[in-house]
Amino acid sequence: MRALVVEDDKNLNRQLVQALTDAGFAVDSASDGEEGFFLGETEPYDVVVLDIGLPKMDGLSVLEQWRRQEKKMPVILLTARDRWSDKVSGMDAGADDYLAKPFHMEELLARVRAQVRRASGHAKNEIECGTLRLDTKTARVTVDGQPVKLTSHEYRLLAYLLHHNGRVVSRTELVEHLYEQDFDRDSNTIEVFIGRLRKKIPPDMIVTIRGLGYRLSPDGDAG
Amino acid sequence: MRVNSLAFRLFATSFAWTLVVLPVAGLLIYGLYRTDTVSTHDRRINLLLTVILADSIDHGGGGEPGQPKEVGEPLFGVPQSGWYWQIKPLDDKPGRRMTSESLGEGISFPLPSEIGIAPGDDEKRWAIVDGPNNQRLRVLEIINLFGEGADARRYSISIAGTLSEVERSLSTFRTRLIQALSLAGVGLLFVTLFQVRFGLYPLRQVERSLAAIRAGEATRLDGHLPDEITPLQVELNALLKSNQDVVERSRTQVGNLAHALKTPLAVLMNEARDDTSPLATKVSEQTQLMRDQVTHYLNRARMAANVGIIGHATEVRGVAESLSRTLQKIYRDRHLDLEVDCAQDLRFRGERQDLEEMLGNLMDNACKWAHARVRLLARPVANAITIGGLPTQLEILVEDDGPGLTVEQLAEPMHRGRRLDETKPGSGLGHSIVAELAQANNGAFNLAKSDLGGLQSRLVLPAV
Repeated sequence: MRALVVEDDKNLNRQLVQALTDAGFAVDSASDGEEGFFLGETEPYDVVVLDIGLPKMDGLSVLEQWRRQEKKMPVILLTARDRWSDKVSGMDAGADDYLAKPFHMEELLARVRAQVRRASGHAKNEIECGTLRLDTKTARVTVDGQPVKLTSHEYRLLAYLLHHNGRVVSRTELVEHLYEQDFDRDSNTIEVFIGRLRKKIPPDMIVTIRGLGYRLSPDGDAG
Repeated sequence: MRVNSLAFRLFATSFAWTLVVLPVAGLLIYGLYRTDTVSTHDRRINLLLTVILADSIDHGGGGEPGQPKEVGEPLFGVPQSGWYWQIKPLDDKPGRRMTSESLGEGISFPLPSEIGIAPGDDEKRWAIVDGPNNQRLRVLEIINLFGEGADARRYSISIAGTLSEVERSLSTFRTRLIQALSLAGVGLLFVTLFQVRFGLYPLRQVERSLAAIRAGEATRLDGHLPDEITPLQVELNALLKSNQDVVERSRTQVGNLAHALKTPLAVLMNEARDDTSPLATKVSEQTQLMRDQVTHYLNRARMAANVGIIGHATEVRGVAESLSRTLQKIYRDRHLDLEVDCAQDLRFRGERQDLEEMLGNLMDNACKWAHARVRLLARPVANAITIGGLPTQLEILVEDDGPGLTVEQLAEPMHRGRRLDETKPGSGLGHSIVAELAQANNGAFNLAKSDLGGLQSRLVLPAV
C-alpha cells in the first residue's frame, strides 16, 4: 500500500510519514503543492493525506486538478480551517474525508485505513481469506487465530493481495504499490517475498498465474 | 405628521406664511377697490355740480341763477332718492331757493359751508353728512357769485349723492374677496402638502432602503437620489463597505491565527502520544486543553465578529442541501437515509457561515448517532413567538433514529467542552457552539425526543 503525504510543516510531515510507515504503508512525502501534485499525478497511490494550506499551490487546487485528470485515489484533507463551509468546499472539490488540525494520529490512521478499505470494496476492519485474517487496525495477520510474524515488506505485499483478493494482481502492480518512489525497484524481489510468504501462511493460498501475476485464493484453487 | 419632522417644519412655515400673506393681500386689494369706488362716486357728483351750475347760469339772469332744466339725472326727480341738488342764496336779501324734486318741500340737508368745511383749491367743499331719512350723503358745494359789481349775490350750489350704493357695493366686494382668498388659502394648503410629500419623497426612499439593508435584502443604499442626499448615500455606502471589510479582515486574521496555532499543536500532540514519561503525559494533557481552548475562543471570536453586522440573509435550502451532500459523502459507508425537507424561499436573517456551523454540527451529530435515518425539516414558524421582538421566525428540526438522550441528559447537554459520549469522535463542542450561535443570532436552541426515536434538535431563528 502506498501513501502520499503533502504537508508543509516539516515536523508534522515527518510525524505523518513515520506513523504511516509504522502502519505498513510505503510512504512518499512532499512539502509543497506543486511537488505534491506532480507525485500524485505520476505515481499510483492508494491513499493521499493532503494539507490545504500549502506553498506554491494550495491543497484544494491540487485536489481539483487530480480529479480533473480522473485520478480516483482516496484523498484525506488536513486543515486548520474547520468551519463547515471549508468542509463543504473540500468535499465538493473531490475529497473523500476531512480532518481538522490538531488531530490524534490514531484518528488519522483510522481514517486512512477506512479509505483504503473503501477503495478496495471492504466494509470491515478485518479482511479474511479462508483461515487467513488481517486486522487492518492493528496490522496483525493470523492464520487459524495464530499470529504470523511478517517483515514490513511481507506485510505490505500480503495486505495488498488481501485488499484485492479475488482478482489477479500483476507483478508490475505489486511493484508500484509496494515501494516508495525512490526505492530501487526490482521485480525479482517480489518473487522472493512471495516465496517467503508461502512459508508463513498456507502455501497454496497464493496462486501464481503464469504471465499474469498472483491471486489470493482461500483454498488454493487456481481457478 | 409627527411634530418633530421635516415634513411638519416645512408645512408649518408654509402655513404660517399663508396666514400672514392672505389677509395682508386682502386688505390691500380692498383698500384699492374702495378708493376707486369712492372716487368714481365723487367724480359723478362733481360732474353733476358742473352741469347744474352751468345750467343755472344759462337759464338765469339779472344777478340770479335760473332753474336748471336738463340735468340728465332722473334720480333727482324721484322723491327721497338720495340724490338731491339745491341752489340757495347766502345773504339775507330775498332770493329764490331752488331744489330738486327729490328733495321735498321744506326738507334740506346740511351744507359743508354751514358745518365749517374749508373750500379746496377749486373753491369746492366736500363733506359727508346725515341727510333726510337718516341717509348718509356725500355733499359737494360751490359758492358762486351771480350779477356784477356791488349787486353781485352769493349763492350756494350743492349736490348730494347717497353713499348707500357705494357701501352696498363695497360690502359685496368684501364678502367675495374673503371667499376667494379663503379658497386660495385652502388651495395653498393642499399644494403645500403635496409639495412636502413630493419634496421629501427621496428621504422616504432612503428610509425604505435602510429598512431593506437592516432586513438583509440589500447591502448598500441604491437608487438615484437628489444631489443633496448623494453625499450621504456615498458616505453610507462607504461605511457599509468598510464595515464589511473590517469583518472580513478580522475573519481572515482569525483563520490565520487558527492555522498558525493548530499545526504546532498537532505536532506536539503527536510527538507525545507514544511516550509514557511524565513530561509527555503533561504535554498530551496540556495540548488537549489548548486545543479545546483554541477551538472555543476562535468560535467566540467568529461570533463576536458577526455581532452588529447588518444586511445579511441566507437561503436555508442551499445550505442544508450542500451540507447534506457533504455528510452523505463523509458517512457513505453507513448508507444513511438523509432527508432534507425545506420550504422554498426560506431565508435566515444572518450570515451563511453561522447557519452552516449550526446546521453542520447538528446534522453531523445526527449522522454520528443515527441507525439509518436523519431528517432535516425547515419551515416558517406559524404562530410566531416573539423572541427579542422579532416579527418572523423559522424553525429547523434535525432528527435521527439513534439512541437519543435520557431526560436528565436532555436537561443539560450544552456546557462548553462537555462531551455526551466519548466513544464517538468529535470535539464535544457541537451543541454548545450551536447554542451560542443561536443566541448570538437572536434565536433559540433546544433538544427533545424525536418521532424517529432518537434526538430532535430544534433551532428557532429570525427569518427574513
